[in-house]
Amino acid sequence: MVTKTVDLRSDTVTKPTEAMRTAMATAEVDDDVLDFDPTAVRLEAEMAKITGKEAGLFVPSGTMGNLISVLTHCDVRGSEVILGDNCHIFIYENGGISTIGGVHPRTVKNNSDGTMDLDLIEAAIRDPRGEIVYPTTRLICLENTHANSGGKCLSAEYTDQVGELAKKHGLQLHIDGARIFNASVALGVPVDRLVQAADSVSVCLSKGIGAPIGSVIVGSKSFIAKARRLRKTLGGGMRQVGVITAAALVALQENVGKLESDHKKARLLADGLNQMKGLRVDPVETNIVYIEIEEGLHMSAAKIVKNLEERGILVMEISSSRIRVVLHHQISASDVQYALSCFQHAVKGGQIENGN
Amino acid sequence: MVKRIVDLRSDTVTKPTETMRAAIADAEVGDDVLEHDPTAFHLESEMAKIMGKEAGLFVPSGTMANLISVLVHCESRGSEVILGHNSHIHIYENGGISTIGGVHPRTVKNDDDGTMDIDLIEAAIRDSKEEITFPTTRLICLENTHCNHGGRCLSVEYTDRVGEVAKKHGLKLHIDGARIFNASVALGVPVDRLVQAADSVSVCLSKGLGAPVGSVIVGSDSFITKARRLRKTLGGGMRQVGILCAAALVALQENLPKLESDHKKARLLADGLNKIQGLRVNTSSVETNIIYIEIEEFSGTKAEKLCNDLEEYGILLMQTGLSRLRVVLHHQISESDVQYALSCFQKAVNGVNHENGN
Repeated sequence: MVTKTVDLRSDTVTKPTEAMRTAMATAEVDDDVLDFDPTAVRLEAEMAKITGKEAGLFVPSGTMGNLISVLTHCDVRGSEVILGDNCHIFIYENGGISTIGGVHPRTVKNNSDGTMDLDLIEAAIRDPRGEIVYPTTRLICLENTHANSGGKCLSAEYTDQVGELAKKHGLQLHIDGARIFNASVALGVPVDRLVQAADSVSVCLSKGIGAPIGSVIVGSKSFIAKARRLRKTLGGGMRQVGVITAAALVALQENVGKLESDHKKARLLADGLNQMKGLRVDPVETNIVYIEIEEGLHMSAAKIVKNLEERGILVMEISSSRIRVVLHHQISASDVQYALSCFQHAVKGGQIENGN
Repeated sequence: MVKRIVDLRSDTVTKPTETMRAAIADAEVGDDVLEHDPTAFHLESEMAKIMGKEAGLFVPSGTMANLISVLVHCESRGSEVILGHNSHIHIYENGGISTIGGVHPRTVKNDDDGTMDIDLIEAAIRDSKEEITFPTTRLICLENTHCNHGGRCLSVEYTDRVGEVAKKHGLKLHIDGARIFNASVALGVPVDRLVQAADSVSVCLSKGLGAPVGSVIVGSDSFITKARRLRKTLGGGMRQVGILCAAALVALQENLPKLESDHKKARLLADGLNKIQGLRVNTSSVETNIIYIEIEEFSGTKAEKLCNDLEEYGILLMQTGLSRLRVVLHHQISESDVQYALSCFQKAVNGVNHENGN
């Protein structure tokens, strides 16, 4: 039986639209290593303008965006970076900043809202008087929206406070802004204001913005010049890359305006799930929904995930009692309703078994 | 005035053709990180088959392909790799195998034909009895065709012999095969036979084959599994990457057969340049699509000036030394472009002669 597939695993699954495909096919291109690909230049300039920074650099992935940023800020051996203990860079980037870049991580506890306590950040900064035994702290990283906390937004005020702290201690501030547009839309704060305190930001185009590939790093001209060189070293120097940056330009045009509706769908889904006995949903701010399976249901996440998959609903199992869903523009309101009914069906089994 | 441009700087400048653009627009895609993009899978399988290896991995560039290959073969700290002193990995990849990968390079002199003396390779292998002060040799790298030595081809016999040395000492062999298809065509040896001795090969699709972006690494299943993970770590894990792979698949179809004609054009150009007083080309060393041009002293000009003068005519090439230029042929350079380029070279050199009262 052919079931409709509703892919809620991530906003990275978004496929290129017709307009993107046309743009890719007709893109003006050139060798971006020997000179500059004109479409890449357009995208990089556009992103710099939107984020209020001097320059931009297109990279194949968010992982490379963060790796380059951390390594460029920490280009002296013996550097340390302060970041959240539950942040994407620390958890999901293969430890590359250390294994590839030789940078030492110093984690600070992420609160459930994605922030780190300012006091704890400050306490984690290495005292240069101890340098005979300490690495040198050079950088603080924030993540906005914070994925593992459920797509939570860091406010402009909080970001500014961390920025002041960084400045006070002569440190740089990098924002992993993979989903920064989601934060901007949810908070009602323009992106450039939101990241004003940051020296660099990495922004994903392949997530909710819906482009097939890539991220853009933004920062000062000198930072981006160094980043470009490191990008080449890591192997991210692509030739006629305009074929993909053309899609990203369309994505910016078409899909930033749709993020608000992704958030609405997420809230709809979350409310519906919360009403089901046996499921509890963490508060939702943007497009990510974490679902706790309550003990009383006596059903594993794996079981629910499998059950949903049989009905064409794809979600991510986070742990034995935790599931994540992510909304994006290629999930319709009726997909959300269908997903809800499938969830209902899946947990009913547990409810019935347990005489609920 | 709209100038006619003949871009001979590199075969990387090739722009995607109409068929490639159509393929890009229609490509079937998936999330290549969460699972496997179907078009990427198709390309990787195809390349593995062509190269006679178990599996393949698409990467954004030849630099990443070589970086991943060296780092996967040398995954233990304290490793050393033997490679040519004039190889692309050693000269043009930002020293990444060391700065990024912590691998120590041990260079061996490249001869004019791109080979390294087998004896010198063997002598460079670290004696494990002295390991208290030595790094551990794990890998030998060859480059075919050899870029800095004029696109010269390494024969299958030579490659096999290096493979035997590697095997004898328990080392791996990686071939930087950015232009391996040029070598295969020029030598008349099927590419899988040419790289048979290698544990891994990196193959560029964005050079003479004309795709807009990318390279493919090929090797064993287990090697490629590790390579995939390192690719993610370096930041090369792209999502709906099928759009790039679709163009690469077209490139393989369309442009592989055109390489022979690139070589013919190169020979034509080389012969013509050699006849120009003031220029010298070692025409017998033009085996594929790369030509190095020496500017004779008596010509009274230097590479920089000649480059600038030629640019005025719309001829773009690369200056590689005070008196040395490089041109690279590709499928988007026509025979008439070659003739035009020759006439511009003649004019440019004559112009200088004129200036110097010759």
